[in-house]
Amino acid sequence: MEPLKPQHKRQILEASPAATPQEIAEYEKLLAERFTVDPDLPRGPESLDLRQRKTDRLKELRRKLFPEAEADADAHEEGLTR
Amino acid sequence: MTPPNPIVTVMNPGDTTKPDPFTICIISNPVLEAPWKTGQFVVDPITSNQNAFDAAAHYICDVLFGRLASQREQLLADPTIGPKIRVVSIFVTGLPAQDVNSLVAQDTDSNLLIARRTVFLPFLKRFALNADVAYAVSASPTHMRASAWYTSDDDARSGVAFTLDGVSLSHRYYCLIPGTVAIHATASSMTALHEFGHALSSYSNGMVVDLYVDSSPALNCKVGRPIPPQFATYDTTVNASDLIRDSINYPSGWSSYHCQLIDPGFPALMDDYWLAPDHVPEHSQHDKITRQFLADRVRAKIGR
Repeated sequence: MEPLKPQHKRQILEASPAATPQEIAEYEKLLAERFTVDPDLPRGPESLDLRQRKTDRLKELRRKLFPEAEADADAHEEGLTR
Repeated sequence: MTPPNPIVTVMNPGDTTKPDPFTICIISNPVLEAPWKTGQFVVDPITSNQNAFDAAAHYICDVLFGRLASQREQLLADPTIGPKIRVVSIFVTGLPAQDVNSLVAQDTDSNLLIARRTVFLPFLKRFALNADVAYAVSASPTHMRASAWYTSDDDARSGVAFTLDGVSLSHRYYCLIPGTVAIHATASSMTALHEFGHALSSYSNGMVVDLYVDSSPALNCKVGRPIPPQFATYDTTVNASDLIRDSINYPSGWSSYHCQLIDPGFPALMDDYWLAPDHVPEHSQHDKITRQFLADRVRAKIGR
């Protein structure tokens, strides 16, 4: 996964004053982790549960770090469900 | 269905004496799944911009073979390796916005492009091609960051045995699913080579993971504090740890640590190469164990 450029990290923190560098790091870690498990091999229920919790946390961080993108995504989803 | 207009270009002929030389394919992504895992498909803008695709394909080929200005990582430039690697680009237009033509998805939780890894081999088969590693180039208007899936090796077939800390593994000759990269047409610097490091590595025989996050154990990453002086024994070679993480330093909350660098003045290529202290990411090289592992893995495959 391509690392975020330093200027992009700065932009995130400027656009989302409540966000912290630690949250960017956690977000990046959760994103990178998704690629470390073969997605085409079956996984047990425990693994699925853990994955869901991580996905939920990823979405939570996404909302905090990229509020504008989140709003765009919501608008897109609304458009699709209309 | 045969695509109407494939423009297939052999960028590097590779070992023409072999029926199945180690092959890297670079494909213009015909169709985007947007968003990922929704089954909604749109034609990728790259299909109407062959110049952008050609430029991206040349960039990928150049960085793979160490040809960028100032580039120091020369893994595939080795004269015993480079000439044996076949690189083929495929530019395709006019395919319908369907699942079977979609090699790249737009992530829902980030601006990452995601390779739809299981589509690649059937797609390439339509052109009578195969790949060990494949790049799909997109011109998505919203998603610009590259990502890669590791190779799913065919562990039922043979390879070249090696040991990692006493555990027997194999550089498999063949894969079930190739290493796949989704990359934007505007990608630059070391990005395509960083993703190649992931894609060439293996889910079952050694993963080369990102070092700029606090990753879990893998070929190039271990966990524990204090950091021991010895990182790992690869075959008979004892590799030291990178105790200080070059110029970046390990954040205080991290538990992961890395292998000794080839050039301790610069971040490892699988680390945050944008943080090169001289602001020249092309100066980044792989750490010692990653370089050896990837070189051996390529050698095994070109020797099959």
